[in-house]
Parts: sequence; structure tokens; C-alpha cells
Amino acid sequence: MSAVRAEARTALAIARKDALAELRGRHAAVTTLFFSAVVLLLFGFALGPDSARLAAAAPGLLWLAVVFSGILAVNRLHLLETDDGALEQLALYPVARRAIYAGKALGGFAVMLVLGLVVLGAVGVLFAVDIASAWLPLLITVVLGAAGIAAVGTFYAGVTVRLRAREVMLPLLMLPVLAPLLLAAVKATAAALAGDPFGELGAWLQLLAAFDVIMLVAGAATYGYLLED
Amino acid sequence: MPQTTIYVSPRSLGAPDRRPPSVRTTDLARLFAGSPALAGVSIQVEAARTIALLGPNGAGKTTLLRLLSTVIRPSYGSAVVDGLDLTRNTDLVRERVAYLSHDTGLYDDLTARENLAFAAAMYGTPDGTARVDRALRDVGLDDRAADRVRDFSAGMRKRLALGRILLGSPSLVLLDEPYAALDTEGMAIVDELLVAWREAGVSVLLASHATDRLAPLLDGRIVLERGLVAAVSGEGVGSAPPSLPGVPAPAAEVAR
Repeated sequence: MSAVRAEARTALAIARKDALAELRGRHAAVTTLFFSAVVLLLFGFALGPDSARLAAAAPGLLWLAVVFSGILAVNRLHLLETDDGALEQLALYPVARRAIYAGKALGGFAVMLVLGLVVLGAVGVLFAVDIASAWLPLLITVVLGAAGIAAVGTFYAGVTVRLRAREVMLPLLMLPVLAPLLLAAVKATAAALAGDPFGELGAWLQLLAAFDVIMLVAGAATYGYLLED
Repeated sequence: MPQTTIYVSPRSLGAPDRRPPSVRTTDLARLFAGSPALAGVSIQVEAARTIALLGPNGAGKTTLLRLLSTVIRPSYGSAVVDGLDLTRNTDLVRERVAYLSHDTGLYDDLTARENLAFAAAMYGTPDGTARVDRALRDVGLDDRAADRVRDFSAGMRKRLALGRILLGSPSLVLLDEPYAALDTEGMAIVDELLVAWREAGVSVLLASHATDRLAPLLDGRIVLERGLVAAVSGEGVGSAPPSLPGVPAPAAEVAR
């Protein structure tokens, strides 16, 4: 039990450190929020002024914007560790490797959650979608989606952080793995916005939750190998 | 020898003559892209000794320190730190080893105090806040504690990285060019640290070119050339010739 507490303390210390550096440097927040706003606007232009068409496409646009921006965000969070050999120092601390993964993923989750909620609000305003009436299932969907993107992103950002071509490699590696999450999140969002007429919302949320658990367990089990040279 | 007031975290180390060697390597080798940076090093460093790693650039000093710190894994051979096999007991070795590399491993957007507070949390340092303040004072950065590391000079960063080591409780300290980038005051701090670690029974293995400055602080020397031990001298240190078959001959300049 004390080992679990020690790992939880380690994870929280890493997440707090990431949050502090993020608040100071605003590496992830500013770039990702700006990027997601641009993505939404461009999708809006591409689909034209038909409001019914925009509202129908809103769940897909929401999650595409969140996923694209999320890739940027997790990459920025891992770039903190490239400060003057910080990743190497992090690997030298006598702490469980899975606690390091949990800390980085927790920091990523916090950023993704804020990002997801802001983008959800922006979608509601830009595409005239009533998100207030379905706030609870939408909130659950965003929480589960943010956790999944953080879990996958933390692992693959660890894979690519030492690569020169990391900005190219990270989306190439992440996007195929995120396909089930994207599908489930879009379907859950669409079901929530439509009032769940076919009773499918629960199944999609379960799929999202299962995806999160699998990715978190796999990431925690294997992240330590990424820290070794 | 100068007296020190630097606080070194106590670890129950026991009498040096009753402890296992701090370092024992057998044919330790590391290849980079097929070329050996370290080509079969067998050394032994007794507990509570301060030993210098000497040799020209590319001799393998940094590679040896990085291997012993667990940052990289050996390609061949074995290493035992404090009686613990490096590859089989990596987590336990990390509790006993502190490493100062060329990179300081600091976060630019955090202040000096926040950087050390994070390190204290990672080491599980008891009474962390007081220890962080003490470490900042010991490395002469207490007046810059609230400043972001981004604005620090290379020497100040080096001092802060040395302060980070004071938050752990290592039995073996590995230092790669600890005097580099430091001013006179900073170099005096390194001298004091070496004395403090000696008094606490902590072994130190350091790579440095400051041989004159180090002379009164050392127990022994290991000279590396082209990835191999060229000479050993002093007390508490020994070596054996390499016995590894099949390791390619080291190049004159090897990747590190």
C-alpha cells in the first residue's frame, strides 16, 4: 500500500511540475487552443453556410479538432523534458517507471480536458448546437476521450521525443491507434446531442472506457523501456 | 584538507572496510553503431574513495559514468554497484547512485527552488522544504532561489544540479567534468562537496581534466585511453586486463 502511495505521490509531483511549466511557458495551451479554433473555422468554411449540415457534422468536427490539437498538446508537454537533458534526469530518479508514465499522462489529461471542454463550447457557438441540454453525457464523453488521447499520446510522445522528425512521426503513430477512440467519441457525442433515441450512448461510452483502460495499462507497462538507451 | 559545512544526507553506509566495493566492473563494454566507446573495462573501486577518471577526449570516461548511472545499458560485460548488479537491480542501484552529467537536467520554466523541490519529491526526501533551502544555501544560490532557471548562466545551472544531488542519499556519486563552466567560487563549492562526501563515507568517481586542483582530494586515479584502462594508481582502486573476445578494436575517436 505504501508503494502505491509513493507512486501516486511521484505521479502527482510530475503532473504538478508539468502544469507549473505549462502555466509559465504556455507551451501547449496557447498553441493548441489557437490551432483547434483554426481547425474548426476551416472545417466550417469547407462545409459551407448550411446550418443544418454544420450541426449534423458537429460531433465529427469536434473530435477531429480535439484529436489534432491533442497531438500538438502531448508533443509540447513532452518537449519540456528535452530542456537540457531533463528526460535523462527524470529516468535517473529512483521511482517506478509506471509512476512517471502516470504523471505525464495525468498532466496530458488535464490539458486535454480543458482543451476538449473549450472546443465543445466553441462547437456549440459556431455550429449552433444545443450542448446545454445534454451536458452530462457530453461531459462524460469529453472526460473519457481526453483520458484516451492522453494515454496514447503520452506513450507515443515518449517514443518520438528523442527523434529529430518527432513532429511528423507522432501523428503518424498516434492517429491509427486513436481511430477506435475517434469513432466511439463521435458516435457518443452524436447520440448525446440527439437525446440518445436508439439507446446506444451507453455502449459507446463503455467502448471509450475500455479503450482508456487498455491504453493506460499498456502504456504504464511499457513506458519504462522508452526511457532506456 | 578544508573542513566543510555542506549538509550531506546520511545513509546507513557502515564502516568502509565492511562494505562491498562501490564499483566493480568486469569487461564492461558499450558499442555505439558498432564502434566501442568502452571496450572491456574491469575496475574495482573500494567504498568511501574519491577516484578520478582521467584520459583524453573520447577515451570513454563519460560512457563509463553513464553506464554506472544506469542511463545507458552495457553491450557486454557486467557492473556491480554497492554489491548490486547494474542490469538485474537497476531500481535499487538508482537509489544509491547520483549522477551529474554534462546536461543539467533542469526545467527552464521553473525557478531554482521549484526545480529542487521537484527533485526532493522524486527522491522522497524527508523534510523536503528545509532540505531544499539548505541545498540552495550550500551551493550559493539562496539569493536566486525564486528566479527562473532560464535566466541562469551555465555555472549557476551547474551549481543547482550539484544542489540536486544533495537532496538524495547516494552511496556513489558520479561527476562528469564537475568544474566545467564554474567560476572560482563555484569550483570551491565542488571542492567542499568532495570533502563532505568523503566525510560521509560516500564514494565519488569523477571525470575531470582539472588534475592539479583535484590532486589533494583524491585517493586514486584511473586513466582511460581509447575505451580501455591504460593505468591505475593510488589507494582503493584496482583493475584487471580485458578478456572479452570479439569486441572490435576501438577507433581513435569514438562516439560517446
